[in-house]
Amino acid sequence: MAPSVEVVAQARVVTPPAPRTVAIASQRFGEFAVPVDSIFALDPGLVGFPNEHRFVVLDSRPGSPFKWMLCIDEPELAFAVVDPVPFVPGYRPPLDKAVAALGCAAEDVALFVLVTIPARPTEIYANLLAPVAVDLVRRKGRQLVLEDPTLDPAHRIPLL
Amino acid sequence: MLVLTRKIGELVRIGDDVTVRVLAVRNRQVSLGFVAPGAVKIYREEVLRMIESGNRRAQLGSPEHLSALAALWEEQGRGTQR
Repeated sequence: MAPSVEVVAQARVVTPPAPRTVAIASQRFGEFAVPVDSIFALDPGLVGFPNEHRFVVLDSRPGSPFKWMLCIDEPELAFAVVDPVPFVPGYRPPLDKAVAALGCAAEDVALFVLVTIPARPTEIYANLLAPVAVDLVRRKGRQLVLEDPTLDPAHRIPLL
Repeated sequence: MLVLTRKIGELVRIGDDVTVRVLAVRNRQVSLGFVAPGAVKIYREEVLRMIESGNRRAQLGSPEHLSALAALWEEQGRGTQR
């Protein structure tokens, strides 16, 4: 006898598999369960950090443009990052450089910059000279070194 | 350190696929031309130093630095992402 519609529908209810996560325990930044597929690898690491490769970008608060990039290999290491486009008038993301460096399609590239937050954050400084480009499909990225004298390694973004 | 003396126009070969040519010498400056595969990254040392020190300064001391900044931004109504 053919199963009733109701039985078939029930049979199709599948509990989604729990996402695989990596547990991060950081004294500075707290404890997290980071989904494995949100991790990306910088190869080589950030300039000056050759031994730290795996990172994840997390929200500082929901919807905020300020995110933090936490190192999976060294959980006490983290950076503040932003998408520079809304902050820097006239900014043109160096997608061609990112594509050349990563060997991926332009639409797969996420590009963000490290920001330095002074003790009294009336302004922050974005490093436009060395953005981080990540291939979101292959989860690989690198910090681009753009030899462009017009790009400021400490571009001031006023906050007040 | 290996020290080689070259005339203008002469080459140095590094490994199998990198060449460096002395193009010009003017006053106290030397122009060098590099030919290398794309995977070989060639930078001015001081540019890398500048980026390295910028990266070090950008290290977050604590999550509060960032959450305070995000809260300040939001308070000003400059709000959330597109």
